[in-house]
Amino acid sequence: MRGGAIPILAWGTILLVLTIGNWVWDDKPVNGAAASAAVVIIYSFGVAVWLLRREAIRRGPPEPGTEIENVPAASLSAMVIGLAVGCALFGLVWAKFLLYFGIALFVASVGRLVLEVRAERASRRRVLEERELR
Amino acid sequence: MSVASAPPARIPRFTGWLGAAVSTDHKRMGLTLGVCSLFFFGLGGVFALLMRTQLAQSNMQFVSDNSYNELFSMHGSTMIYLFVTPMAIALAMYLVPLQIGALRLSAPRLALAGLWTWLCGGLVMQQGWFASGGAGRAGWSSIAPLSNGTNTPGVGQDLWVIGVLLAACGTLVMAACVLATIARRRAPGMSLLRMPVFTWTALVSVLMVVASFPMLVLVMILLYIDRHGGHIFVGFAGAIDYQDLFWFFGHPVVYVMFFPYLGAAAEAIAVNSHKRWFGYTAFVGSIMAFAALSMAVWSHHMYVTGGVTNQYFAFTSTALLVPAGIEYFDAIGTLIGGAIVLRASMLFALTFFIQFLVGGLTGIFVASPVLDYHAFGTYFIVAHFHYTLFAGSVFGFFAGVYHWFPKITGALLREWLGKLQLLVMVIGTNLTFFPMFFLGNDGMPRRISRYPTHPGWGTLNELETFGAGIIALGVLLFLINVVVSLRRRVPAGDDPWLGHTLEWATTSPPPPLNFEAPLPPIRSYAPLLDLREEALDRARERREVGPA
Ligand SMILES: [Cu+2]
Repeated sequence: MRGGAIPILAWGTILLVLTIGNWVWDDKPVNGAAASAAVVIIYSFGVAVWLLRREAIRRGPPEPGTEIENVPAASLSAMVIGLAVGCALFGLVWAKFLLYFGIALFVASVGRLVLEVRAERASRRRVLEERELR
Repeated sequence: MSVASAPPARIPRFTGWLGAAVSTDHKRMGLTLGVCSLFFFGLGGVFALLMRTQLAQSNMQFVSDNSYNELFSMHGSTMIYLFVTPMAIALAMYLVPLQIGALRLSAPRLALAGLWTWLCGGLVMQQGWFASGGAGRAGWSSIAPLSNGTNTPGVGQDLWVIGVLLAACGTLVMAACVLATIARRRAPGMSLLRMPVFTWTALVSVLMVVASFPMLVLVMILLYIDRHGGHIFVGFAGAIDYQDLFWFFGHPVVYVMFFPYLGAAAEAIAVNSHKRWFGYTAFVGSIMAFAALSMAVWSHHMYVTGGVTNQYFAFTSTALLVPAGIEYFDAIGTLIGGAIVLRASMLFALTFFIQFLVGGLTGIFVASPVLDYHAFGTYFIVAHFHYTLFAGSVFGFFAGVYHWFPKITGALLREWLGKLQLLVMVIGTNLTFFPMFFLGNDGMPRRISRYPTHPGWGTLNELETFGAGIIALGVLLFLINVVVSLRRRVPAGDDPWLGHTLEWATTSPPPPLNFEAPLPPIRSYAPLLDLREEALDRARERREVGPA
């Protein structure tokens, strides 16, 4: 949406200035690297927003959109992905079988998530087709 | 933006508890995150009460030294990773889409996965209590080499590392979703400089999370490897490297735990003064600079190590004073000439600003290396950060709760109970944390389970323990208020306070897609106030109302 990348890139630029200050004054490689990494992450986010929608770099209020979009109401697989990550890492410390169980659960739930997203896309296509028929 | 109305064929419908657990509605996720955070607040509070009981008198034997180490480590970790930070994200997740007129959160499935990852992290961390050797006990920062496999052996500390890792990943993902929502889902007309004050504070907070939490994830991975024979943080250089990396996350997170509560207090002050937030553009600029600057101060936690450029970090830390001053200036500017109503939310917000000032001003003291050499590792520091995080942020949180509870639940909280809670908490907070300044100045070290009989220390510590009990009473009053208000509901209506921002233009609680009626025109950062002012102007033109 219009302007969305501006605050992200602007904030990244303030960070960049401070990082240069850090490199010059503090000159510790660990610190400089950490600060630079943060700048890269923020710029990457800003650039990603900009690439998704070019108007994200333009000023002014967003205009009304006309496209149809999905609004997912629930996602069992997303919840299970979170649980699977927790289970696997917990298993790393507590009991190895939980690690393998967690990984298996993760793979299975990612698979289910793909189905969920495809089903959702299909329903969006249906709505679009109905609209065209009318 | 239109919405596909037909439900996808292959996704089953869920109801009840499971329905709440798998919902990708930002309001439901925000509420789940908030309620879980509140549970961890209670847990961390119990740890604090146990610590204060141990410290009530000199040479007490209420808990063992090892248990005390667990208690202070888990108190700090629970409060920071599992309460104040996630609660800030919960507020943002619930309110930001409403405030910017969005129908939903961006990447809601990712946010849901993050929510459950975070919750797993919290549970894994607490699982340490059942491990042999006990829970994590190397402090909330788990500084190396104290936290390595030799000095803190055992599964409990490993569970702490994994718990923090999971909580950090979850928080990071949720914050990224909020950031994407602000960037991509603002309603038509909602330009950047028309976003509400709270949304701006949420924006800078999630920017800081996205910039700094990857470092926490990295540090926890490195610490885990180090604890299992990796030998990463070795010797003096290794110890300094750990701290440099950890505090690169550890300072910004303090501001993540501040900005959204500042935003909540600011909204409460503006609405209860019946005025626009004063100096909006300066405020926006200042919090952008404030947040960025707070990414450049981290080594002020390390002045005494002898391994940092003290001048640079003293300079940046002291510079934080400027944007902080602008915030106070704006708050006072909003109050001046306002039609002030002293509701519970307003009183909590005002107390937030007053009490945070104590934390902020003592922050200037310890930003100076010379003064920090004296204060470092003492109760002075404990007092300082509890004035920012508890006397500040938690009061800002309650300002937000009293302000938005009617929107979230459709029921009003009991005002008198809220004011009583405020009174009790103000007494408890200052009784607990103010004496710590004297104790710290007198040299009482933090993180000790027993202290020798020393003139004055006994009395001050007893006062603190007494104060901690009073705080607990205040929290209890809050819980009673919530239960009573939900059981015997006083309907709030859509806009009980004459709110300024879009969340007050929808029903309480809001419908699944947030807005059923068309949004009011968005011409400023207070669109509902605009509407009321326009109506008043029209009425004046028709001479229904006398001159202003
Ligand atoms: Cu700091």
